[in-house]
Amino acid sequence: MHLIVCLKPVPKPGTVKVDPKTHTLKRESADLILNPPDRYALELALGLKEKYGAKITALMMGPPNAAPLLKEAYALGADQLVLLSDRIFAGSDTLATSYILAQGLQKLSPFDLVLMGKASIDGETAQVGPETAAWLGLPSLTQVKSLVLEQGRWVARRVFERIEEEVEFRAPAVLTVEPEGELWPPSLKRWLASREIKEKVFSAEDLGCNPELCGLSGSPTQVLEVFSPTYEGEREVLSGPPEEVVDRLVSLLQERGLLKGG
Amino acid sequence: MGFWIYGERTEEGFHPVVLELVGVAQKIWPQPEEITVVTLGAEGARPVAEALRAYGVRVLWLHHPELSYFRDDLYAAVLAEKVRAFKPEVFLFGATSQGQALAPRLAGLLRLGLTAHCTALELKDDRLIQIRPSFGENVMAKIVSRTRPQMATVRPGVFPKAQPASVEGELIEEKLEFLPPSALKRRAVFSRPSKESPLSGARIVVAGGRGLLTKENFQKLFELAEILGGAVGATRPVCHMGWISEDHMIGVSGETVAPKLYIGFGISGALQHTVGIEGAEVVVAVNTDPEAPLMKRADIAVVGDATQILPRLIRRLREVKEGDHGT
Ligand SMILES: Cc1cc2nc3c(=O)[nH]c(=O)nc-3n(C[C@H](O)[C@H](O)[C@H](O)COP(=O)(O)OP(=O)(O)OC[C@H]3O[C@@H](n4cnc5c(N)ncnc54)[C@H](O)[C@@H]3O)c2cc1C
Repeated sequence: MHLIVCLKPVPKPGTVKVDPKTHTLKRESADLILNPPDRYALELALGLKEKYGAKITALMMGPPNAAPLLKEAYALGADQLVLLSDRIFAGSDTLATSYILAQGLQKLSPFDLVLMGKASIDGETAQVGPETAAWLGLPSLTQVKSLVLEQGRWVARRVFERIEEEVEFRAPAVLTVEPEGELWPPSLKRWLASREIKEKVFSAEDLGCNPELCGLSGSPTQVLEVFSPTYEGEREVLSGPPEEVVDRLVSLLQERGLLKGG
Repeated sequence: MGFWIYGERTEEGFHPVVLELVGVAQKIWPQPEEITVVTLGAEGARPVAEALRAYGVRVLWLHHPELSYFRDDLYAAVLAEKVRAFKPEVFLFGATSQGQALAPRLAGLLRLGLTAHCTALELKDDRLIQIRPSFGENVMAKIVSRTRPQMATVRPGVFPKAQPASVEGELIEEKLEFLPPSALKRRAVFSRPSKESPLSGARIVVAGGRGLLTKENFQKLFELAEILGGAVGATRPVCHMGWISEDHMIGVSGETVAPKLYIGFGISGALQHTVGIEGAEVVVAVNTDPEAPLMKRADIAVVGDATQILPRLIRRLREVKEGDHGT
């Protein structure tokens, strides 16, 4: 059984700076961490490895300085580490990212399941899983919380807002994992061993990527501008001693008819 | 067939977000007769499809026994074929579990751009401006798509629902003959305990953040909520500190509220929080820091110590209330 877990390097919350003049993001200045929801995908894979025996590949697309994060996946129990890294990958939106991941997955095939986190904490799109499945022509399921193998068929328990369903399918498939349940810490032994482990690095050329489909040129969505939310309409600023401020606040709310039950 | 909306069905009919999408479509799209809700199902779902016509939209109802429940691969394949045939300009989905499973699969099949979790939409020279938070940086981003249809998912609870229209929309029914195969088979469904949020439907929300400094101060929000007939909301850190349970959390990881009045005490206004209050009519912020993001977006920005303002506000409102009774 070959399980591939996709891991995304994300800026540690609070460490990204916005250039106050250009409003562009200074991503390089941020510290990178493993996207926390991806840990649940890895955890699910580790559970399957323990139960059925499996080889786990940790797959990451990212800049070279994200490579050390893969060692964390090794420490947790992944067997093989793969980094997809190329300058032409920069600026990819979810469609381009999923194309690159799909190319990487093809390189690593055969596999049984591809597991991803539900969403990333920086993009929060939850799109890359189903998009990757579409590129590969494989079935996709989102928000899976458990998996069992029954006579060669997988049965997934999957979460929606109001229901959960049990779905049957055959591998290979691409799944995203609901972030819930316990996470186990890495073993010290594997932490120490992870220092010796080298990740494999694949470039766009190694993967046979069409450059037109990567990075900015492969991204149909474009950011026109970023802005700090300011709201038109007059803004009242109240300051002064608390008593006065409260009086003025209450009259303003009354004027606007906000204090009546109806 | 210009503006498409995915008509997600639930056990009870349409998901509420469908009417919210219809509402925003009717507001921004210049040809209201082109607004079309596309819904898939088995024959038995007809009444659900029919019901939407009352909102003045066209309903495209695709049915086949195999479509009786949602299957990612099958639904996406059916929609892909219809998009190729009808070439809509826009295709919106609710950012629900189902919408977030289906929209990206469809976008992947058709190689289209897709913007997630929009909180505002504008139309500018035929282009759909998709506005969403960019959390890491605490800014909003305006996004456009080079491909057609322009696809986006929209956060539920942000837009007001469409109202019934005077003229019914038409129902276009299509019984599908051939379906692509599906690799997925549902074996069982379980209902999830529906956690009705204490915030749902609240007309007034009073929320507190770290700036309230202590749990004791925070608790006073309940008094205020009671006087105003509102509900208590919170930021994530104070939920994690145990000041209040997580079902009061507002924001990406919590609830979306759309009250007439929202008052935030000691809340900085991180986007992860403010996406949950996009629909609020009047926002009041109380903060010692006049530069805090929530102060900048507030309609009424109160510069001051929340721990001082909150008890005085409660007292003043009590007085006002008693005064009212006297007259
Ligand atoms: C993946 C992810 C998901 C998240 N999801 C959510 C979510 O759903 N909801 C959410 O709320 N957050 C969420 N967060 C956290 C979010 O980024 C912010 O950290 C959080 O909203 C800040 O909470 P706060 O305003 O209470 O605290 P702070 O940001 O610390 O702000 C406290 C404010 O109080 C002011 N203040 C201090 N003392 C006083 C005083 N005496 N009187 C008045 N004002 C005072 C300060 O000036 C400051 O503006 C998420 C974060 C991540 C990374």
